Amino acid sequence: MHVWLAVTLVVVGLFSLTIGATDVSLGPALQKVVRGQALTRTEAIVLWDIRAPRLALGVLVGAALAVGGTVMQGLFRNPLADPGLVGVSAGAGLGAISAIVLVGFAPAWLVRNVGDHLVPVAAFLGGWGSTLLLYRVSTRRGRTSVATMLLAGIALGALAGALSGILVYISDDRQLRDLTFWGLGSLGGASWAKALAAGPIIVISVLAACALGRGLNGLALGEATAAHIGLNVQRVKNMAILTVAAATGAAVAVSGGIGFIGIIVPHLLRLAMGPDHRPLLINAALLGALLLVLADVIARVIIAPAELPIGIVTAVLGAPVFLWILLRQRGMVDL
Amino acid sequence: MTLTVRNLAVHYGRKTVIDGLYADALPGALTAIVGPNGSGKSTLIKAMCGDLPYDGTITLNGIDVFRAQPWELAAVRGVLPQTSTLAFPFHAIEVVKIGLTSGTEADHEGRASAALARVGLAGYANRYYQELSGGEQQRVQLARVLAQAWAPATASGPNWLMLDEPVSSLDIAHQLQVMRIAQNFARAGGGVVAVMHDLNLTGLFADQVLVMAEGQVLAAGRPADVMTDGVLSRAYGCDLRVNTAPQGMAPFVLPHSIDASGNAGFAE
Amino acid sequence: MDRRDFIALSLAFAAAQPTHALAASDAQDVIAIGGDVTEIIYALGQGHRLLARDATSTFPAEAQALPDVGYMRSLSAEGVLSFAPSLIVSAEGAGPPEVIDILRSAAVNFAEVPEGYDAGAIVEKINAVGAALDVQELAQTLAAETRVALYAAQDRATRLNAEKKRVLFILSTQGGRIMASGTGTGADGIIRMAGATNAVSEFEGYKPLSDEAVSAAAPDAILMMDRSGDHASTDEELFALPALLATPAAQKRDVVRMDGLFLLGFGPRTADAVTALHRALYPI
Repeated sequence: MHVWLAVTLVVVGLFSLTIGATDVSLGPALQKVVRGQALTRTEAIVLWDIRAPRLALGVLVGAALAVGGTVMQGLFRNPLADPGLVGVSAGAGLGAISAIVLVGFAPAWLVRNVGDHLVPVAAFLGGWGSTLLLYRVSTRRGRTSVATMLLAGIALGALAGALSGILVYISDDRQLRDLTFWGLGSLGGASWAKALAAGPIIVISVLAACALGRGLNGLALGEATAAHIGLNVQRVKNMAILTVAAATGAAVAVSGGIGFIGIIVPHLLRLAMGPDHRPLLINAALLGALLLVLADVIARVIIAPAELPIGIVTAVLGAPVFLWILLRQRGMVDL
Repeated sequence: MTLTVRNLAVHYGRKTVIDGLYADALPGALTAIVGPNGSGKSTLIKAMCGDLPYDGTITLNGIDVFRAQPWELAAVRGVLPQTSTLAFPFHAIEVVKIGLTSGTEADHEGRASAALARVGLAGYANRYYQELSGGEQQRVQLARVLAQAWAPATASGPNWLMLDEPVSSLDIAHQLQVMRIAQNFARAGGGVVAVMHDLNLTGLFADQVLVMAEGQVLAAGRPADVMTDGVLSRAYGCDLRVNTAPQGMAPFVLPHSIDASGNAGFAE
Repeated sequence: MDRRDFIALSLAFAAAQPTHALAASDAQDVIAIGGDVTEIIYALGQGHRLLARDATSTFPAEAQALPDVGYMRSLSAEGVLSFAPSLIVSAEGAGPPEVIDILRSAAVNFAEVPEGYDAGAIVEKINAVGAALDVQELAQTLAAETRVALYAAQDRATRLNAEKKRVLFILSTQGGRIMASGTGTGADGIIRMAGATNAVSEFEGYKPLSDEAVSAAAPDAILMMDRSGDHASTDEELFALPALLATPAAQKRDVVRMDGLFLLGFGPRTADAVTALHRALYPI
């Protein structure tokens, strides 16, 4: 499965490089490169500074969101858990907003040393804190109450929203613009600097997630049984929480709130290939990347020369699928 | 190479559930733990499995259960919990394979199929676990435990089955089947510890019985020696008569009546 | 004579003189970002050079016929570049910053026009746009023209009244919460130019005000942007808000609504806006 997902991702990725508001196309540009001719400045900028970092960011963010959702669902033993639905994204958002607004108060050495990574790191910390809190509140003796989880998620989201509101209130107009744009969820601000800032965190968390496959399979049987089959349950849970926080935090930091990828991707894959997490996680990374790159192509061309925030595209595609999952699961999930 | 419990104490919050308990279980024998509700028998087996914090000492094949890493214990014993949950729609065979680590994927496949066959679910490999009946689910879980503790005895020592009420949701035929699997595991040199509610099955299959009451071992020994009117009446707090045919017309069915020699009347 | 006609005439006059030969090309290769920038470009008679404009550029009517590259704060780099402009003239504050960085690094000239909320700033804007379009002389004429008009309007507005009205600019009343303008905004600027006082001076920018803070600000008049459709609130709805009940403005039912770009654009039409606002606030 992952082989042809990877192939499709490459094809769609190349397609996304050829399509856009300008009529610059990859084919002629590649021919020029092969023939040793120089690219025009527009071609170089459109391909290298606009479309390529955007593709890179789309792949990274899509993989991070899908893997974050899959790990979260494994951790909570529930197919409806999603970082966006249960307040983890809001927590990560609070971290990012804090970083954007409070950077003026931060000591100079910190800004100097952390620089571009400040927002992703703050988003990670926010996501980590809220995942931890959520897990503590909704899990008792190894069993997660879905109702508690969803309600706690709403409370957490509201709290993060309120704190974000306070920060927005004290922000100046320029920061406010940054925040407004960031909150919409978009890959529009893609740059190599962003891809490089979020890339390492996302790559590490995707790799870490792939190592969690057996642990999450074990957790599916409950924490006690997971321990009986030889898993260090506490370590698996800690790793899972860190992974969710890192993947979600990094994705939120660079692209704002993009919803539904984390819930649709694992669900579609479970339908296609079963719930075994070992193949599931790597395939989720691939399918998440694929879907987000596709959604971004739609976002870029549908109202060109302007563009739609990608969060709107994923919500339009994702919300009906989510409702469909709810309908299907009605008999199987005890809320 | 035994299971030893020395001076065990378990507390739930400020409540003491077990206090100063000593017990042993030997490989090659099926050790049943019986006792009334709340006597601490489930707590005892959980402590033996390393699920609970406790005071005192428990060793399994010489391994200190409290200090052991999960994988060390997993290598020598499988645990069938009282109730099981499963989060995602796995196939029966996938559930059985989840417990396996060493060996190749092909080994796992073979062993998991054999384990399913042993619990009478040979044709169920690709059925969804959630779509099986409660009794079938419990047998899938037993197959998972068997696959994990596959060989009763190995060069490095016996393997153990820890069964917490293994027959609770089964009909009488499958109760006999499951007890017979446990008994065979013990006869092949493995260790079996089972928490039992059913005194008749206990009398029929156990080699060793631990009667518990109020967090203490009231009596321990061969079934014939401990399952007496006095011990059972004291343990359960009601007047019980052992081996007395009932008076009156109410029908009764004892598992003993089927076949003590080993064939429960269906093909395995 | 209408001011716009006057400008058109003076431009025609300028164009007729050989010494005023337009150094600028007549190629259509410019993108304008920001309603004020677009207005200035048209006022300079350079509208024919525009390829596209942003969503805030709604005046003059001809501008609306141009392709729209989206909201000025969430531009798409490739969307803008797809017009292959050789010049982008943008108001300060267009974004996102990464997109602006790309546009600057692309082979196009990117001119940023400074923001500001007084007569001097408008003059600077006009000169900046003129410099970007290489029509400095036209710009100087327009700037001088605009400065005179602005000072005249401001003079008229500030001369007459001994008692300055306290004006509260309300950006929105969503959910009953009043989002008002503090200092350092276009609304604050135009209120002062029109001979009134901003009722709120405790903070900078646009912020939501508590009901009591609105009462304490005691505005004599409310100033709002003219909106049609669902967002429009009637006078009834407006003065029914608890925050406004106790204010002098509510007792006199004094509310002024004006077109947003006209009122807050700080461009060539601002002198007219000052006069219009002044007349609305102080009817004779």
